Amino acid sequence: MSELTVLQAVRLKGRVSPVDLAATLGEDPNDLAAIVDRLTRSGLLVDGKALRVSPYGRARLDELLTGERQHVDKAALSAAYGDFRAVNAEFKAVVTDWQLKDGHPNTHEDTDYDAAILARLDGVHRRVTPIIAAAATQLPRLSRYAAKLQTALDKVSAGDPVWLSRPLIDSYHTVWFELHEELIIAAGLTRESEANSGDAQ
Amino acid sequence: MPTPPVLLLDGNAKSPPEILGHKGHGIDLMRGNGLPVPPAFCITAEVGARYRAEPAATMDAIWDDVLDGMRRLEAATSRTFGREPHPLLVSVRSGAAVSMPGMMDTLLDLGVSDAVEKALAVEGTAPFARDTRRRFTGWYQRIVGSTAPDDAFLQLRSAIEAVFASWDSPRAVAYRTHHGLDECGGTAVVVQAMVFGNINANSGAGVVFSRNPMTGAREEFGEWLPGGQGDDVVSGTVDVEPIAALRDQQPAVYDELIGAARSLERLASDVQEIEFTIEDGTLWLLQTRAAKRSAQAAVRLALQLHSDGLIDEAETLQRVTPAHVETLLQPSLQPETRLAAKLLANGLPAGPGVASGRAYTEVDAAIDAADRGEDVILVRNHTSPDDIHGMLIARGIVTETGGATSHAAVVSRELGRAAVVGCGRGVTESLAGKLVTVDGNEGEVRDGSLQLSAWSEDNTPELRELADIARRVSPLRAHTRGDYPRLERHSEAAVRTAMASGHGDVVSANPLLAMLAAIRLREDT
Repeated sequence: MSELTVLQAVRLKGRVSPVDLAATLGEDPNDLAAIVDRLTRSGLLVDGKALRVSPYGRARLDELLTGERQHVDKAALSAAYGDFRAVNAEFKAVVTDWQLKDGHPNTHEDTDYDAAILARLDGVHRRVTPIIAAAATQLPRLSRYAAKLQTALDKVSAGDPVWLSRPLIDSYHTVWFELHEELIIAAGLTRESEANSGDAQ
Repeated sequence: MPTPPVLLLDGNAKSPPEILGHKGHGIDLMRGNGLPVPPAFCITAEVGARYRAEPAATMDAIWDDVLDGMRRLEAATSRTFGREPHPLLVSVRSGAAVSMPGMMDTLLDLGVSDAVEKALAVEGTAPFARDTRRRFTGWYQRIVGSTAPDDAFLQLRSAIEAVFASWDSPRAVAYRTHHGLDECGGTAVVVQAMVFGNINANSGAGVVFSRNPMTGAREEFGEWLPGGQGDDVVSGTVDVEPIAALRDQQPAVYDELIGAARSLERLASDVQEIEFTIEDGTLWLLQTRAAKRSAQAAVRLALQLHSDGLIDEAETLQRVTPAHVETLLQPSLQPETRLAAKLLANGLPAGPGVASGRAYTEVDAAIDAADRGEDVILVRNHTSPDDIHGMLIARGIVTETGGATSHAAVVSRELGRAAVVGCGRGVTESLAGKLVTVDGNEGEVRDGSLQLSAWSEDNTPELRELADIARRVSPLRAHTRGDYPRLERHSEAAVRTAMASGHGDVVSANPLLAMLAAIRLREDT
């Protein structure tokens, strides 16, 4: 487990308990404890009520991410992000339609309505999988997002819809939001410039 | 004799909204009462319904009548459609029997070509001609889905077809489903001579209400956009001025407008929302309809119209629904409180609810403030995944960028936070440190910590007055106290049971709601 992977995971969660960090990384908590301890002692992580990245750690992470991008095919990552943007619009519409029906909170009483949305989610998943695979040819650690999306989708399909959009757990939306952030960085962009151009909303 | 497919709206069409659509009906009403309305004709809703089954055959069958209608518009305006030197431009607008605001398509400024643009530049100015053409091209591409042909009559035909077809657009279908409206039928189409609010500084467009539809106050209310066209006003993308600005700029026209609003209110026996354009100092009314109103206004306006003698007691109780009263009994931001506080930012309502607190723009500072026990509003340019902890402790969320499906909106709704997104650049700076109220229902951020309050049947004078009227009209008289059988709930079933048992008088915790239910039950039987 590299320093970059751990710092990036903590940074994307903002604040995270060691247990949740191990879960999102798919690591054994005991193995992870040693790395977290080392990063905390060197001042990169702050260990309060939850772990978070220190300003020094944030600078270090930016350095590592820049280094990671030195040896990639920039055009391939830009293309992957371009493809992602198109399916991102559809995904956000899917989640919004799941939350709201005709502008009012979805009471989930209309099973046909819900089923149609979940079918659209399957379509989104089929579209995003090859995009992640393409990005992972450049940055192999991104392949984890495909597995995490699959796990969330399996839980939704098994009848537990909180795994579609609930925050603070690795729901489909949470993982997607983090993947989106990763792809923006990988394409050498910032979320702020993307937000202001209307693409990272 | 069957209704002709095309009717001139000169005040003599005199057909119900089911035929003319509410828009056509309103235009005919206004023209019939001598109000200034640009000449128009209507293709009936019956044609709109036929179009859905047989588009091409229907268009062929009515085309001669449409051409005849165009000749009438040309004669009335002394202009020629699609031709210089005095070109006639028209709008093509949808109008169903029931108003479905913003759900169907409308095109403005039809009839532009290279030659017509030149003629418009001669009659007005070159920028006006360019602006008008730019607007037309945009509308046409968006709604018809192709580049506009030069031939004005081809433009007209495609536009009419697009408007007919918009009856079946997903948003229109969803609107009808949600509001329980009939799926049969179709929309009428109104073709009207254009007047130009964008022609010079003495021009503009706006919307005026005959009374305030938010608070129900007896005062003019509305918006005015100098130099704009009507679509600018409703789009919400440009900053409009309050209607009072028109009073200062063009007092005589303002008086004429308010006079027209009063007449229309009397004619329709209801508060009106009127779209108007001022073209070089001349007032034109484009549309009138019953104003959409808040629950507060629904009650106050019904009582005012009753005391003004415009509606009787039974009608007064029709104007107030049980849903209005239920809404008023819940704590909410009262419109007069809301409108009295300074508007600091507005955007898209993304998470319902109202929340007050101090605006923080950094997540860590926001979390620290919440730990100290402060009420926090998180204001960000956009949200990133790691903002979740700031959103979690915040009572309300505001962003500069992002639409109603943005990540910020999705997460706000999941967390049940009041949220307004897409407020525009600079909002984080302007709000930072201020005590604000986020209104996720209206999409506004207002100055200060605004208190929510509720009406009550016991203490709010308007509801007591309404209950007094209801006791004279309702088949079931409900009282707060007295020696009568007790109605435990005001549900429809409970009220029905009480009525079936022959009770004339009951005691109820919500007498007004019980009587509104009783009145509606009587109508159903």
